Amino acid sequence: MSRSYLFIPGNTPNMIQNLDVFESDAVIIDFEDSVMSYDKDAARILIKNFLQKFHEQVGNIYIRINDVENSNFESDVNDTKDLHIAGYVLPKASVEAVNTLYKICNGLDIIPIIESPLALLESQKIAASKGVVGLLFGAEDFTKEMGIERTLEAKELLYPRSHIAVVCKAYNIEAIDTPYTAKDDETGLEQDAIAAKQLGFTAKALIHPNQVDAINRIFAPSPEEILQAKRIIKKSEESQKGAFSLDGKMIDLPIIEKAKKVLEKAQKYGL
Amino acid sequence: MGQNISITKPLINSIDELFGFIDMNENKNLSFHHHLRNGDGVINYVLQHYITKGITGLNLYPSSIFPAYTSILTLLKNQQINNITTNYCNGSVATYISENGLPGTFTMQTHGGRARSIQEGLSKIDIAFIAAPYVNIYGDAIGYDGKNCFGSMGYAVVDSEYAKITVLVTDTIVDEPISNPEILGKNVDYILKVDSIGDNSGIVSGTTEITKNPIGVKIAKNTSRLLHELGLIKNGFSFQSGAGGVSLRVTKDVKEIMKEQHIKASFFSGGITKYHVDMLEEGLVDELFDVQCFDLEAAHSLKRNKNHHAISASTYANPTNPAQVIKDLDVVILGATEIDLNFNVNVTTDSHQTIIGGSGGHSDTASEAKVSVIVSPLIKGRLCVIKERVTTITTLGKNVDCLVTERGIAINPLRQDLIEKLKDSKLKICTIEELLEKAYHYTNKPKNMIKREQIIGEIEDRTHDIIDYLYQK
Repeated sequence: MSRSYLFIPGNTPNMIQNLDVFESDAVIIDFEDSVMSYDKDAARILIKNFLQKFHEQVGNIYIRINDVENSNFESDVNDTKDLHIAGYVLPKASVEAVNTLYKICNGLDIIPIIESPLALLESQKIAASKGVVGLLFGAEDFTKEMGIERTLEAKELLYPRSHIAVVCKAYNIEAIDTPYTAKDDETGLEQDAIAAKQLGFTAKALIHPNQVDAINRIFAPSPEEILQAKRIIKKSEESQKGAFSLDGKMIDLPIIEKAKKVLEKAQKYGL
Repeated sequence: MGQNISITKPLINSIDELFGFIDMNENKNLSFHHHLRNGDGVINYVLQHYITKGITGLNLYPSSIFPAYTSILTLLKNQQINNITTNYCNGSVATYISENGLPGTFTMQTHGGRARSIQEGLSKIDIAFIAAPYVNIYGDAIGYDGKNCFGSMGYAVVDSEYAKITVLVTDTIVDEPISNPEILGKNVDYILKVDSIGDNSGIVSGTTEITKNPIGVKIAKNTSRLLHELGLIKNGFSFQSGAGGVSLRVTKDVKEIMKEQHIKASFFSGGITKYHVDMLEEGLVDELFDVQCFDLEAAHSLKRNKNHHAISASTYANPTNPAQVIKDLDVVILGATEIDLNFNVNVTTDSHQTIIGGSGGHSDTASEAKVSVIVSPLIKGRLCVIKERVTTITTLGKNVDCLVTERGIAINPLRQDLIEKLKDSKLKICTIEELLEKAYHYTNKPKNMIKREQIIGEIEDRTHDIIDYLYQK
């Protein structure tokens, strides 16, 4: 359960050194698009050495490896699967690709990226695959494959976002929204994140550390939500009933479970 | 009622003509201000004459030395300079002095200390050459008008008052009276007309933009949270933040808190930028006390806004001046090249002992502000900013209260009151020793490369105490 997944290029020592500084709940060290082909082995060496020495400093770390068709795929996994990482983010996901990764990744978590129309249609099966703990929406590649322009308003993303959010909820895994690429547009970032949360996303990926605060705030329960959840749990404990009334509204088991999740999140994030 | 009588000043049209009136060999203590920073054209223009004439035994008192002041390097190489007293030194002159020293003494003072020293006669100025962008025939001058306006003339005021001979060097002379002049005609002896005093776009030297670097942003966020938790951001508070990228980000974050909580500050002081001007114009602060403008937006604001005041270095930070502005300062945000376990701060030399800066107002404001906050990345490149002992002490640790880094905040143990206020804080408060250990975990402990054999200069605090020495690298 993380609110923010911060991408950091795997070949940038000054950024890697500060993984724990940016306060992102999870970090995705990138071996794929942000690392040029000639630098991929250097990135693996850097990350291996760094995580062997500094693993206690950093918490929830994922590595975005190269896709299963790429010649670096196996090296990316074999060089890192024994490190202290939470798992892998898998680009160009398909059921077969997830299964291929699962066989060699020592049971680490897998977060497939849904970034093609076919993957979107397959997303239920991908979500149900072994090792998958969440789906990450990749809007840049998705819109490219669709032959449509990605806009800041993101109306063109409404359907794939809704679909992914529903699938993730159905399979009880994390729904991670695509990064907002206008890194200096704080207002746009907030609007985009709120829209994703409204659709059911539980987290958002980011491409710049300066976006972490806003994402953590938006995907955390608000003070009002926490207060209401506390009231629901208190009334539930006092009434000893499966359903009861609070402020004139009926409260039943799903609402009580939701309130518990809110308090669980609040506790986790120290709110 | 008495009547002010203005007397026109001798107008000189060339440096040769000027030295028809002044004996160069009798007047070798020369002062300059640095308001035009790297765009200054006056220092090189004047000193070229001394180079040409081969005058030796010069003693220079520039308020700062910037890389563009290449004539000083020539004079040094020609062995024409005995002593230099300044507040900041950067560029080829700084490198030369770091490697060679001077025949006499290289003294680094603070801005307030310089004003005090001149007033008390410890620094005896024979000729003050004052670049002035807008002058009238009576010798009155302001810095915030004219084609090369640069804003406040704060550092030059005391020179004009105490120098044996004061020469205004200008490219703009008018006949009309000037209201509220910064330099008073009664203190001026000559007006030297030149084609240009320099390029005022050069005042924007260094970082004067809000940082977007994520480490800088994190440090700024930690700082504004710290100030908030200490209860320092409240109605009527006063603040100084300078022009560094992180300091300006702190200012931005503090501004957000002020707007959210409807807080208005009483004054901002020191070096002023467009960001401080914006806050004045948005009604978030009552007054700006400006000893130096860091951009032209600030210079233009001085002309149009009656609550934006140009002040002299003495009014700014002279410890013996009862009207000293910074004695009422609540918070100052400062940078550091190094800080040590006793909270001594170095902004004068790098870790290889090359002179790269100087106090400016660092020690002045840290000494006077109720809370002084140093902001710095804990790890710069591959080195920790914290040392067991700084290479050079610019500001004494007893005057430094907080160190804010991206990995935690250290409070000087001398400030138990602050530590007590922060005991329940969610901020990462730790000792400076703990911060050092965190950094060493990444960088390991560097070898000590400092040589302390040949003294080449001294660090004079605003109290006149010599608090450290500069050593040949």
